[in-house]
Amino acid sequence: MEVGEDAIASVKTDNSERADLLMDRFRLSVIAISEAEADLLMDRFRLSVIAISEAEAEKLGMEISKPVAMCIADLAFKFTELLAKDVELFAQHAGRKSVNMEDVILSAHRNEHLHGLLKSFSHELKGKESTTIKKRRRPSLK
Amino acid sequence: MENTFDDGLIDSIFKLVWSRKATETNEDTEVVNANTEAAGKSKKNRPTTANSRALKVSCELVRIFVTEAIQRAAMIAEAEGSRKIEATHLERILPQFLLDF
Repeated sequence: MEVGEDAIASVKTDNSERADLLMDRFRLSVIAISEAEADLLMDRFRLSVIAISEAEAEKLGMEISKPVAMCIADLAFKFTELLAKDVELFAQHAGRKSVNMEDVILSAHRNEHLHGLLKSFSHELKGKESTTIKKRRRPSLK
Repeated sequence: MENTFDDGLIDSIFKLVWSRKATETNEDTEVVNANTEAAGKSKKNRPTTANSRALKVSCELVRIFVTEAIQRAAMIAEAEGSRKIEATHLERILPQFLLDF
């Protein structure tokens, strides 16, 4: 009886150890895959930042050196990560699982000017998407 | 307007951040969840998503971030009589720039 119980116990611990080991290996491979994916995303993001910043510099009649563009790309990536976290929290706070336009606009609330820009951008988007034009009477601000 | 980010790119970056955060928080509660996972799993662990308009606005926000940095750095470069934006110009604007975003 005792031997049997011992054996079962050892099998149990053996199994759980093996399961832990498998779990760890699984985790490691998942981490490796997601890291490779993150690198890829980062590169794509960098490329588009460089394209945008070169176009913008050209518009201003300036040149931009490569390290500066890379710096801005890294900054923008970190900013995007922070934005993702903020926006998720806002959506969660509103009891939603999907992020709305309002969440993104809210994330820029510290900078009034930026807030206004994003608001008008969102109005433009709404106007574009709804082909049926809804005319809303607004009291003119004077 | 002519040059902006790809919605899909921003979407996948968002999803990456969210999934990373979700796995971090799940690891602590994983042991508890393993026993009671059968019920209510689909609702609780559903990942966050973003709708297409939210993504467009996010793209615009990041685009403004980049162009604003360039414009401010260009202003400093121009004041110094240089045609090329160098790292020192970016350094000058960085503190205020980061406070503004």
